[in-house]
Amino acid sequence: MTVRAVRFPRLRGGLTPWLFLLPALLIFAAFKFVPAVRAIEMSFHEVRPYLGDRWVGTDNYGTVLSDADFGAAVWHTVVLAVGQTAGSILLGLVLALLLEGTARHLWFIRTAVFLPTVVAVAVVAEVWRILYFPGAEGILNSVFGWFGLGPSDFLNSRDSSLSSIMAVGIWRGAPYDMMIILAGLAGVDRSLYEASAIDGAGRWRRLWHVTFPGLRPVFVILLTLAAIRGLRVFTEVFLLTNGDPQGSTEVLMTLIYKLGLERHDLGTAAAGSIVLLLATVTLTLAVRARRKVGTT
Amino acid sequence: MTRTTALVVTAVLAGGLVACSGSAAEVPQDENARLDIWTRRPPGDPSEQVSKDLAKAFTKKTGIPTKVTAIFDDFETKLQQAASQKDLPDIVINDTAQLGTLVDQGIVREVDPGEVSRTKDISDKAWDATKAFDGKHYAVPFSAQAFALFIRSDWRKAVGAEVPKTWDDLDALAKKFTKDDPDGNGEDDTYGWVVPGSTKRGYASWYLSSFLWSSGADYFSGSGTKLAPAIDSPEAAATLSWFQKSFCDKTVVPGSETAETAAAHPYFDSGTGGMYLTGPYNMARFDEAVGEGKVEVVPLPAGPGGEATALAEGENTYLMAGSANEAGQLKFAEFAASPAGQKIGMNGDENGSIVRLPINTTVDMAAERKDERWQTFNDIYTDASRYVPTVPDWTPFLQSSAKTFNAVASDCEADPESELEALAKDFATELESQRAGG
Amino acid sequence: MRQFDTALGFAGSRHPLLRPLRWLVYLLLVAVFGGPLLALMVSAFSPVASPTSLTLWPEHVTMDNFARAVDRGVLGYLLNSFIVVGFGLLLQIAVSVSAAYALSRKKFPGLRLVYLLILSTMMLPEEILAIPLSVVLADVPVVHVNLVGTLAGMIIPVAAWGFSILVMAEFMREIPIELEEAARIDGAGEFRILTTIVLPLCRPALGVIGIFGFVMIWDQYMLPLLVAQDSAQFTLPLALRTLRSDPEVGLGVLLAASLLALLPSVLAFLAMQRQFMKGLTSGAVKG
Repeated sequence: MTVRAVRFPRLRGGLTPWLFLLPALLIFAAFKFVPAVRAIEMSFHEVRPYLGDRWVGTDNYGTVLSDADFGAAVWHTVVLAVGQTAGSILLGLVLALLLEGTARHLWFIRTAVFLPTVVAVAVVAEVWRILYFPGAEGILNSVFGWFGLGPSDFLNSRDSSLSSIMAVGIWRGAPYDMMIILAGLAGVDRSLYEASAIDGAGRWRRLWHVTFPGLRPVFVILLTLAAIRGLRVFTEVFLLTNGDPQGSTEVLMTLIYKLGLERHDLGTAAAGSIVLLLATVTLTLAVRARRKVGTT
Repeated sequence: MTRTTALVVTAVLAGGLVACSGSAAEVPQDENARLDIWTRRPPGDPSEQVSKDLAKAFTKKTGIPTKVTAIFDDFETKLQQAASQKDLPDIVINDTAQLGTLVDQGIVREVDPGEVSRTKDISDKAWDATKAFDGKHYAVPFSAQAFALFIRSDWRKAVGAEVPKTWDDLDALAKKFTKDDPDGNGEDDTYGWVVPGSTKRGYASWYLSSFLWSSGADYFSGSGTKLAPAIDSPEAAATLSWFQKSFCDKTVVPGSETAETAAAHPYFDSGTGGMYLTGPYNMARFDEAVGEGKVEVVPLPAGPGGEATALAEGENTYLMAGSANEAGQLKFAEFAASPAGQKIGMNGDENGSIVRLPINTTVDMAAERKDERWQTFNDIYTDASRYVPTVPDWTPFLQSSAKTFNAVASDCEADPESELEALAKDFATELESQRAGG
Repeated sequence: MRQFDTALGFAGSRHPLLRPLRWLVYLLLVAVFGGPLLALMVSAFSPVASPTSLTLWPEHVTMDNFARAVDRGVLGYLLNSFIVVGFGLLLQIAVSVSAAYALSRKKFPGLRLVYLLILSTMMLPEEILAIPLSVVLADVPVVHVNLVGTLAGMIIPVAAWGFSILVMAEFMREIPIELEEAARIDGAGEFRILTTIVLPLCRPALGVIGIFGFVMIWDQYMLPLLVAQDSAQFTLPLALRTLRSDPEVGLGVLLAASLLALLPSVLAFLAMQRQFMKGLTSGAVKG
């Protein structure tokens, strides 16, 4: 390797990154990009896998964009995405700070806290439907009762349904974020802590001036992920309410599911997803552009 | 828009299908080619074994080899996958309600009932469920079922009530189940009704349809391509008000507004609710959870001004396009509908029945099954049930009505009448786009 | 210097109320995050799981639900899941590390486009890609291999995952370039720099992509569905979904199967936590 490096320094410099990227790009090309291109194609067709597709222009887009629930679905999606993202990052940060360390009991507690992330979503939905049981004898309603609150209808009233789903999303998302933040904390240079202590900085100032700046790559990851995933929020909603009651939790993906997949109308489903994709790309670019401004 | 285009083709040309069976004929035929059979059953379930037994008996009789694949969730995804690979199974045993979709995709062959041996032995009602909007048949019947009211008989006796005969009786019983502590545990934790009230897969409408019909209401008036919305009738409004009231009076298990069937069944299992309108496939499960002899099955009583009518469903044997053994396909469908095939599918009183109610009128069910509740289901199916309306594509209607019913049930302030008027307008638009409005 | 092990640094504090307060917080956290699931898992040992209440102590303990889950072939599905996650995760980590190295430590024309392309792989819902993907699986472009009906079909497509690449790249970016340059002057090749200089400093990130990669592959649903030709190739999530909507089994069997599905994830989590701890110590030593 080194021999060749001496002989063709230029060529090697040009090719090296591509060699390292090759496995990932090949796999993505076959299993993501080719299907994605086909999905874009599908969005302009009436898809009939057996008989052959029929060109319908932008009709599929019309079906999605003109649906009476589209506006509400966009709004619910944004509310849910922002709420879940902010909630998960904040709670995840608190969890990570509280549970950082090598003590044996912390291993156990971290594992318990991490459980929601590794349990199948179907089971998570099952648990929360039980916890949220809206009768006065329901579990959360009993807890609320101790404090003289409730009973709440939780998922089953349009006033509380969206926030109830958001709570489940945060419950499941915070431990996820916690892990990434913990990894970030592990990478923060310990000598900086000492230095700031010598400078006489208190705990909170140290957190603000040393820890948080050290977590910058972590926040970049979390925000990028949030931008990518936020608008696609689906499984929790689908399993908990499917957009009910009274359409109060309808989000873009459940709408796409109803208009396209439940009706076996793949073209419309694809069109809805392309709309979603465009929104996501825009959002991601916005997040990353902000970051560029932030770093320079 | 898409659908319109699709329907122009199916309705006007009726030709996507003809063209398709035409292309299927180009597949070289081999009367001994293996039949790939897909059945919508949970893999590992006893019903998978029964399906295999059925296929084995067929092979023994005809010498045609078979391979059975059980797929449950996402059956449709797998089918679309097979279609896009142009490698469809030869036989699909699936819900009658899938007919429109399969026809629309052009992946099933037309069947001429006249060519099916001993056609007359198969009930006319079951044949009706193989008929698409264009009036042609696209399958051979396989199995049927109807909905009936499951009641906790031990609870009913505990609160000293008779079997309900009218909707007033239903209301009274639901109240007693809710208030009178029928399970005697001293806690206020029981309810009258178990309801799958979610919009998912249109469950709210699927469930309420029996009640609507039983009160004299209907989704459409007219027939053929001259359908008009009838969902805004006074009868429908009265039924929906009644439905809403049962939610607002809290005689329905709380949480039913967002419950699909998988979430609703456990409410009956666990003794949370005492009445549930559902299908015969739940008998074994409920018996086991609640205890033998504590679950009775009765027909849904007639509503005010109507006569008792329950939703009928079932399964068809679909002959898929592009098969290399079209003769074998038909033979299998005939065998599955024959007394021999039906008996294997019924599997006595054991678990894993794939034939709920036989569609062959020469089969004596009482001889096969000792549990007399099956007879109740059979009587309901034969005398007091109907399939969903025949429109080119039922799904959009199912979805929009489920949405309306769900909205009214989960909001005590909602006005059923005006909601139904809005729904009727949706129906009219959709009928027009499906070219089925008069 | 124990005080500086953690960001909050409470370890060094001697306030008398701190200890009980901390345990109270821990108890609350375990109750809120672990409690519901533990209670649900207890229900897996109960004859009838209630849809309205949870208990931490079953009245009658029964293994019936597990026996029925095993009857339904859950053990076979478990084995398939193990095979897929084992090979899949190894490949995925290798591919991610390699791609992240190029993205974070090299400058080349097209870098930003590649970055965006990789991010975009996470943007389209799987339900939409399902049908086109199934066509690809049956006939992989260029090489024309049919992956349908093979476990390889569930392994190869998950070998590249945008999330892992993104996380790895962001962490690698933080490692000072000077370390690398020193090694380069010593004549180390790219591969050696990656494995001996960059990777050891990325341990916490390896822990992260290891855990999340495990969960991601373990929970795959759509891909195994498209690849499996019949239940012989089923993985556990396919079985879970079927159990959930099968009217003939109750909630208990689903819970029993979920418990089986959960245990390996927890074990994987415990194993990967080690990486964090190593990262912690290395971070502390670094100064």
